[in-house]
Amino acid sequence: MSQSLAVRDPVGRPAAAHEPVAALDPRRMLQLALGALWLLDGMLQFQPAMFGKGFPQMLAGSAPGNPALVARPISWSAAFIGHHVVVLNAIFAAIQLLLGLGIAWRPTVRLALAGSVLWSLAVWWLGEGLGGVLAGTASPVDGAPGAVVLYGLLAVLLWPADRDPADRAPADRAPADRAPADRAPAAPFVAARAVGRRIAQASWLAVWLGLAVLALLPASRAIGRAIADTTPGEPAWLAWIDTHAASALTRHGLLAAIVLAAAFVIVALGTFLPRRPARAAIILAVVVAAVLWLAQGLGGILTGSATDPNTGPLLALLALAFWPLSAPARSAGET
Amino acid sequence: MDGPVWLTGIFAALMLTVAVYCAGRLAVTRRWRRPTELDTDAGHVLMGAAMAGMLVARLRVLPAATWEAVFAVGAAWFAWQLLKSRRRAPATWRCLHPAPHLLECGAMLYMFLVLPPLTGPAAASGIAGMGASATGSRYSFLALVMGLFMVGYVARTADRLPSGRTADRLPGARTANRLPGGPVAQSNLPARPYLAPRCAALCKIAMGLTMTYMLVLTL
Repeated sequence: MSQSLAVRDPVGRPAAAHEPVAALDPRRMLQLALGALWLLDGMLQFQPAMFGKGFPQMLAGSAPGNPALVARPISWSAAFIGHHVVVLNAIFAAIQLLLGLGIAWRPTVRLALAGSVLWSLAVWWLGEGLGGVLAGTASPVDGAPGAVVLYGLLAVLLWPADRDPADRAPADRAPADRAPADRAPAAPFVAARAVGRRIAQASWLAVWLGLAVLALLPASRAIGRAIADTTPGEPAWLAWIDTHAASALTRHGLLAAIVLAAAFVIVALGTFLPRRPARAAIILAVVVAAVLWLAQGLGGILTGSATDPNTGPLLALLALAFWPLSAPARSAGET
Repeated sequence: MDGPVWLTGIFAALMLTVAVYCAGRLAVTRRWRRPTELDTDAGHVLMGAAMAGMLVARLRVLPAATWEAVFAVGAAWFAWQLLKSRRRAPATWRCLHPAPHLLECGAMLYMFLVLPPLTGPAAASGIAGMGASATGSRYSFLALVMGLFMVGYVARTADRLPSGRTADRLPGARTANRLPGGPVAQSNLPARPYLAPRCAALCKIAMGLTMTYMLVLTL
């Protein structure tokens, strides 16, 4: 975790007089973005629609098509939530708010990130039916493999620990590690700092190659219909965009699926490339995430019935965690 | 589509608490000679009262048109502070980061201008009784952008919120080099500790979260 610093403004008043300013390294920025997304999720969970019968029905809707072992707990939990929807929904929203605030407040960041992983896995199963992956209905345009699992993955990749001593803040290093010192970070990207390069790259490959496979499944070839399904309840300008995109893609569903899968594969291989092409691949990943988000109708946030912003912003955040750090910093760290 | 009344009641109570607490800060800052951001605290008093009235109709103290004028003036003030802060650092009694407060005033204006007046059945449950369709959704993207900014602001404010141990260790974290509204303090004058910085940050967090909740309700 970053070292806390007090910074003075030009006239001598400590900027930290009332707000101690802490230095933000790239990982902390991404942690804060993750915390902000949890806060947004919590507020979306407080929407009036979530306190009605529609919420447990939405949860139960993720069970059909899944193996019985997966589907039964989903149906049971949806029925249980249906009986106590007001209390349980308030608890769910409060948990997400606490996760967001916990990640944002430095003393509790580890606890909140660990909680994020557990909560994400529980919601991925009981709330999203494992993203429909086992049901054969998963489509990246619909939000597969599920936004919430990306929260868990990000919580792991942004864990505040460093495998290489050079990545630690100087004051956090052991005396023996200080000699080479104040050498720059060794990790090639932020996501590698806690888990190491290989595990981070493996997770990146799993996400993007997984998306490529899902894009080629028969369920994903009806991209036009999937986009059109997002339009009810959307504001006019967004419905106009999605309706036109849907009508344009309806006749070319297979071609669109192949292009999308190709983009996912290029992105997946991006982190293995030298710095410049790798950065281009990350930019492509952010663009693809933005296009996906638009196709998802901004996750349905503007319809008043979304519980999260869907996969678009999470994929963009994940991509930023793999942004290649500068070459001098990396080479210095690898010596 | 009504939200639970108790939830809006909790948020309204939170806003009233913030408003009363910030009014208290304004009252004691001169007497105790402890610096605080006067414009931020005054803004929170007004916003707390206005938001409580939007959340629970019975708590309305002023008509919407009056609040619109108040927050238009507030937005102009913080916009002016933002422009000035680019040239020189503000005095101790003015806020250090005007941009979030400018956006808060903008969000208040947005909510007063876009939402229909609370009349009839909706008046009983305040903003939660209006549901998603009340705004016509024409400007809902604006509400989404402001909501995203607010959650980011809350996260950043919580990031700066020191634990007790850290706060004591930080140089300058407990003292201000300027007296309220005055020139830079002379070296022979005792430095005045800033007035309850953690509570001030918690007020900002509470205000940001409640405003996000209200913006989400207008989507």
